[in-house]
Amino acid sequence: MRVWGEDAAVLAAAGADLAALAALEQTLEDGLGDLPRAGSVDAHVHLGRDADGHALDPDALVADLDRWGIAAAVCFPANEPGADGRFTAANAAVLEAAGRHPGRIVPFCRIDPMGPGALDALEAAAAGGARGLKLHPVAQRFRPEAPEVVAAVAAAARRGWPVTIHAGYGARELAGPIGSLVAAVPGARIILAHAGRGDARALAARLGEWPDVMLDTSLAALADLTVLPPGRLCFGSDRPYGEHATALGLVGAAARLAGWTDGERSAVMGGNLRRWIG
Amino acid sequence: MSPSEAVRLCAALAQCEIALVRRDPVAPALLSQAARHASGLGPGALVAAAAGLARAVDPSAGGDDAAAARKVVQALCRAAAHEAEAALLAGAAA
Repeated sequence: MRVWGEDAAVLAAAGADLAALAALEQTLEDGLGDLPRAGSVDAHVHLGRDADGHALDPDALVADLDRWGIAAAVCFPANEPGADGRFTAANAAVLEAAGRHPGRIVPFCRIDPMGPGALDALEAAAAGGARGLKLHPVAQRFRPEAPEVVAAVAAAARRGWPVTIHAGYGARELAGPIGSLVAAVPGARIILAHAGRGDARALAARLGEWPDVMLDTSLAALADLTVLPPGRLCFGSDRPYGEHATALGLVGAAARLAGWTDGERSAVMGGNLRRWIG
Repeated sequence: MSPSEAVRLCAALAQCEIALVRRDPVAPALLSQAARHASGLGPGALVAAAAGLARAVDPSAGGDDAAAARKVVQALCRAAAHEAEAALLAGAAA
């Protein structure tokens, strides 16, 4: 049994009142109404164990997807670059998980674009079946518009891959750098994580210039989601930092407040992202 | 929930969020404050549960038990913040 995305036995050992927590979670789920979950895709999940201790294994993720009726999840490594600094083992683990859960786990690879052999790491992941790229400018300490990042995004674009870029907690100014990146790699499919909350107003002001930029809803600000166009949003949870109860609740609240149509809600929950990942 | 109640709760929960992320020992005290602000309001049960769990587990502790509990506290706070923010945004749109 899992409650609020955690193993119930572990929570019990910590002294949690499981019945009360489950009841609160059920209340939140009841409030989702008819938010469409059939065919939905979670755009933002980390597998593995992050340097900060957050961890999620593939079987636990699939249990969560089943619990919440979510069809599939885009998965990439946590921040565990490994001894070679190239995410070799972490990327391999995600690819292996995708092989064990076909159709449920869509594997993206993660690289440090500033590190030696970054493009080789990307090519190795592609050969193993990766279908997208994740970049984290804060964890790997780079500027999104740096030439090395442009090269990595260009390599992803040549494969038709989406590129998810962290744009939330700790992010520096983003609108200018993302604008430079988009200009340098026309047609690149960019997903700004966390609805770009690290620089939300500036990004929203320029979104019209960037037809191939979407934003995922993981750990986003509700106020941002209510003003962003639903045609540019894709549902995400940021497991294991976030969990599905509040991730779904956030999108449900945005849909109610912004008055999204049924079609727009379906698009946010999976349709928009499936245009890019199939 | 009045606008002032919602703003007060949002501000308190934002303080809790950063304290939890930083594993600051002040987190349980901040959560108790937030629970008082939320008492009798829509998100009251969520914040009360978060505060209770935070008191049971040292937020700066290591180990899988403490990590799982800390993450649930954060989730409860997120759910409460969404509810308070939604009340504010709905009021602003009215």
